Amino acid sequence: MATIKGGNITKGNYILFKGAPWLVTKTEFVSPGKGSAFTRAKLKNARTGASQEFTFKSTETIEELDVSSREMQFLYLDGSDAVFMDPRSYEQVSVPVDLLDGREGFLTPDITVYILFYNEAAIGVRLPASVKLKVTYAEDATAGNRVNAPKKPVTVETGLIVQAPLFIKVGDVISIETDGGQYQSRVNE
Amino acid sequence: MQKTWQRLSQQPQLQAPFRVREVVIDTIRGFFKTQDFLEVETPLLVQRPSTETFLDFFGSELRMAEGQRRPGFLTTSPEYAMKKILVAGFPRVFQVCKSFRNGEGRSPKHNPEFTILEWYRTQADYTDIMRDCEELMLELVAAVNEWRGEAVMPDVEPTLQYQGRTYHLNAPWPRLSVAEAFEQFAGIEVEELLDEVALPKRAATKGYQVTDATSWEQAYHQIFLNEVEPALTQFDRPVFLYDYPTSQAALSRRKADDPRFAERFELYLGGIELGNAFSELIDADEQEARLKADLELRRKEQRPPFELDTDFIEALRLGMPPTGGIAVGVDRLVMLLADVPSIKDTLFFPVEDVFDLE
Repeated sequence: MATIKGGNITKGNYILFKGAPWLVTKTEFVSPGKGSAFTRAKLKNARTGASQEFTFKSTETIEELDVSSREMQFLYLDGSDAVFMDPRSYEQVSVPVDLLDGREGFLTPDITVYILFYNEAAIGVRLPASVKLKVTYAEDATAGNRVNAPKKPVTVETGLIVQAPLFIKVGDVISIETDGGQYQSRVNE
Repeated sequence: MQKTWQRLSQQPQLQAPFRVREVVIDTIRGFFKTQDFLEVETPLLVQRPSTETFLDFFGSELRMAEGQRRPGFLTTSPEYAMKKILVAGFPRVFQVCKSFRNGEGRSPKHNPEFTILEWYRTQADYTDIMRDCEELMLELVAAVNEWRGEAVMPDVEPTLQYQGRTYHLNAPWPRLSVAEAFEQFAGIEVEELLDEVALPKRAATKGYQVTDATSWEQAYHQIFLNEVEPALTQFDRPVFLYDYPTSQAALSRRKADDPRFAERFELYLGGIELGNAFSELIDADEQEARLKADLELRRKEQRPPFELDTDFIEALRLGMPPTGGIAVGVDRLVMLLADVPSIKDTLFFPVEDVFDLE
């Protein structure tokens, strides 16, 4: 099994911690005044979705999970699960929405994603770097200071709210980064 | 990724923290000047930096036209120089300046170049500095509220709103010793806490990764960061965590009644460390011995070596009065008072905007 140093873990790593698989969702450098360096990590249990924080020594050895991935299509949200299907075998898998960490707003029917597996269990979803979503609600641009190009909130088809430029209208399709949810560009087709 | 100046041009509401920064620095200056403190400036570039074992430095070189070359380091704190000024005969000094720390990781509370406030009061100890902290914070909150146009209500208890939580600021603030904190939040009694063998063992039984190479310091911090510091976030008031094991307080005076601990405190608000204070160590021999031990530990840890600042030891030998002093992270203060989640929101040019980082 691959290992990683406490000082090198980053968001997106899957690790084995106290016998359970965890997704690292956030890391922060900590230096307690007069001491050696540490990394404070936010962890999400890849089975239950429960979160906890743990502070690792930078020099500590952590086991990285042997995660495999398969390309699948998103079908629908079913209560607390997101359901995906393998387009070749038609096999369906469910992933707890908690494990999507708020990124379920990027899922549109038939979008292709990678489902991550650990010991045959689906433990997460890797989204494309950006997704295209249709704007379903946007206020008309007010006559503001356009030189400074301020932004306004717009709602897209999945219910997600994104800060977009003033010229974006209902019906536009926009490209959004899945890491952080930033507006990238208008991609009307 | 957008630069801060670009985001500011698009979202004028992001300007507020920079206005708050100005209010904070003006108020700090006013606070100390009305109490007859001298504002000083000390070198940021020195040949012999402080001996902090675990801090990384930015190093350069001084080159004279005549051919002399000397190592040059950016200071991690102006502490040594300010203490020399006390010895020179100035009883109260303060400074707001840049300090530099290398080798730190990404964090919303760190930037390699940051603004530090230090003040020193002679004929005083760390409890006087606690009172300074309380008074300064109340003045800062009042000044920022006034800047926001909020009426000052003399009878209303002062509070700070930060990231959806309310902190109560009426003094005196709670004081918790390190020994009490380990006992309350980690279930570790003082004898076990201070024992070089027992503490790593206890860390192992608690489930932390402990090897033969795990030092007392690492076990101490592992427990501190996982059990004690998170408990401090539960307080809805600022907290003084005080009296550190002597090994964790290289520049502070030992407690007269319990030399296992030194008179150091850290100020926490919402779990965020805002400042680090000492009853300053003024015994030249003990200071020299501790700094040499630090340098020896640096050598063992295979960190770049440097020379002891003998000038600092000589100043202590000439005689420094009993003194209380503190270093406060100004960027973190601004972050709290502007109610933003990261010090990067208070910096026009955070490190990510200055260096090409991935």
